[in-house]
Amino acid sequence: MKIKVFFALLLGRLVRWISRVIHRGGTDMPGRMALKLCPQLLRYLAKDVKAVAITGTNGKTSSARMVEQAFADAKLSYFSNRSGANLISGITTEFIMNATLTGKPKCDYAVIECDEAAAVKVFPQLRPKVVIVTNLFRDQLDRYGEVTHTLSNIRTALTGLPETTLCLNADCSLTASLAGDLPNKVIWYGLEKSAAAHDAPEPPVSDATHCIRCKTKYDYDYRTYAHLGGFRCPKCGYARHAADVAVTEIVEQKLDGSTVVMDVRGERKLVRTNLPAVYNIYNAAGALAAVTEMGIDVDTGIAALGHFNCGFGRMEQFPLGKAGARMVLVKNPAGCSQVLNFLQEMQEHFVLVVCLNDRGADGTDISWIWDAEFEKLGALGPRLEKVIVSGDRASDMLLRIKYAGVPAERLTLERSYETIVSQLNDETLPIVLMPTYTAMLELRSTVVRHVGGSEFWE
Amino acid sequence: MELKICHLYPDVLNLYGDTGNILCMSRRLQWRGIGVSVTNAPIGSPLGLSQYDLVFIGGGQDFEQQVLLDDLHRGRDKEILAAVEDGLPFLTICGGYQMLGAYYETHTGERCDFIGALDLYTKGSDTRMIGNYKFQCSESAGGSVIVGFENHSGKTYLGPSLEPLGHVLKGFGNNGEDGTEGAHYKNVFGTYSHGPLLPKNPAFCDLLLKTALERKYGKAELAPLDDAAELAAHDEMCKKLE
Ligand SMILES: [Zn+2]
Repeated sequence: MKIKVFFALLLGRLVRWISRVIHRGGTDMPGRMALKLCPQLLRYLAKDVKAVAITGTNGKTSSARMVEQAFADAKLSYFSNRSGANLISGITTEFIMNATLTGKPKCDYAVIECDEAAAVKVFPQLRPKVVIVTNLFRDQLDRYGEVTHTLSNIRTALTGLPETTLCLNADCSLTASLAGDLPNKVIWYGLEKSAAAHDAPEPPVSDATHCIRCKTKYDYDYRTYAHLGGFRCPKCGYARHAADVAVTEIVEQKLDGSTVVMDVRGERKLVRTNLPAVYNIYNAAGALAAVTEMGIDVDTGIAALGHFNCGFGRMEQFPLGKAGARMVLVKNPAGCSQVLNFLQEMQEHFVLVVCLNDRGADGTDISWIWDAEFEKLGALGPRLEKVIVSGDRASDMLLRIKYAGVPAERLTLERSYETIVSQLNDETLPIVLMPTYTAMLELRSTVVRHVGGSEFWE
Repeated sequence: MELKICHLYPDVLNLYGDTGNILCMSRRLQWRGIGVSVTNAPIGSPLGLSQYDLVFIGGGQDFEQQVLLDDLHRGRDKEILAAVEDGLPFLTICGGYQMLGAYYETHTGERCDFIGALDLYTKGSDTRMIGNYKFQCSESAGGSVIVGFENHSGKTYLGPSLEPLGHVLKGFGNNGEDGTEGAHYKNVFGTYSHGPLLPKNPAFCDLLLKTALERKYGKAELAPLDDAAELAAHDEMCKKLE
């Protein structure tokens, strides 16, 4: 075993070194090659590392950055897969780079974001101490299949890990159902009715209308967004579980973050997060549940939420144009609708750039753009000064926004990111950049070339 | 003039941007000054199909299928069958298209009985037929080339008397074997092309609207619209599929 591990590690390092020399990111390939040589390499490297793993449809990266900041503030020695390479190959690369050539870990802790379909391969080897499941929404049906399929994948991934503590979103009927089938300790987090001040309407398209156990239509005491909220099955009694980390009041929601009141395992706390929008309040509650379970004290965990670095393209700010730009990744209808919701609540006039690609990592099926509530853009009126669409499927995006009711004179199609970014250099209004994943990689490096910032893997 | 559209089972059949098709029909009517109303008919609600001029049924997830079948077999299947025979226009996609057929047989041999309004049946397979595709509508369905996205593992076979909606130019279509795609019977248009089917295929959308308007008012001319953006998206996908 030892000798195989040694060679696998050596190979991984070598591939990484070559990748860097030829200016490829090298986040995936080293792990992939090393796993070929030693398929159980991750198990070996992870066995003395206490890991928090984060999976689910939306919010993985932001949650990971929050947990990471708490680890840093608590002065723990840790590493994380910051590059966003969240399949077993990328995660293994991270472990290779954080181990000696004899396979001894250089850190005691790790914060690992894990793709929800890859969890089946990753979790049995990683054996995380704590797992956060953020939520489950339909996402890239061509890649993940139905959402219930993703759910059962995660369940399988967690089977055989009875020692792992689960931090589950109490408001997501799909996620919460994991608790019933597994013996694990669960810490619940969610928003109370008192925090869902404006009871959100039933969404036009919901991913979980019927009981996951008995297929009866849920009743809701309140909704927060999409299918999240106080769900209750009138037939079998399956219902939202009381939250251990409970958001009881939203004090203030602003562009640069939110202030909320939380009951954190019995203690009443004021919590500020430096990312806006309701879905990040969920991420904050989930992160707090996880870091306290890892033994970090509540106040350190809370302080971290106010000053963590948000991930690439997660409301990331750039000094582009006179009033600055924010980049926010969109990849599925629920997440995209949340961003559109956020844009609707913004007070300023602004310019929007939407870039739609249909490559493997984006999902080759772009139908989902018709499920996202772009109508909110149509309702903005003149506050939305200009929309530029781009990306491989720009003309489909143009149609979506046309049918959403944005007048043609405010809508343009421009293929070249170079042209878009150099025009935006002179823009006086705030800019919002909304790309899908692979579009973000390109758009972001164009922006970085113009205004500075770091490349992905740095 | 006004069209009353019924969106059947939007609560469970809404998988792939299906509402985009409703939106597209509504807008193209509004832009021409024609009135439109959309009524959602979720599970458990009374149907009353005779009050509508056009019915849309989308695709769904396997998870909710039983809920749907229970509801159908409470008499709605007969009502839908009668409406089809009466010439009510239907646009049905994916799961909704299969549902109008006789039955679905899973690859383990279990059989679900469907409505039986169209002489077709579907068999589950373990190959997933997925991707962008295009097909040419038959003359009776307007003859236009349609670009879309298909994602199904069910293989649909048409009975000898049933006309396909068109013939596959690139992709799988009904079953990946006989080159047919969809079905066209009376005023029912069934297809595997999901999601943004109508926005990128304005000629087909207008054919549906015209069919519904003519049935209701006897005669209908649709004023032309500026379809430059629609046709650009259509042509772009056509080229991609060459
Ligand atoms: Zn139930």
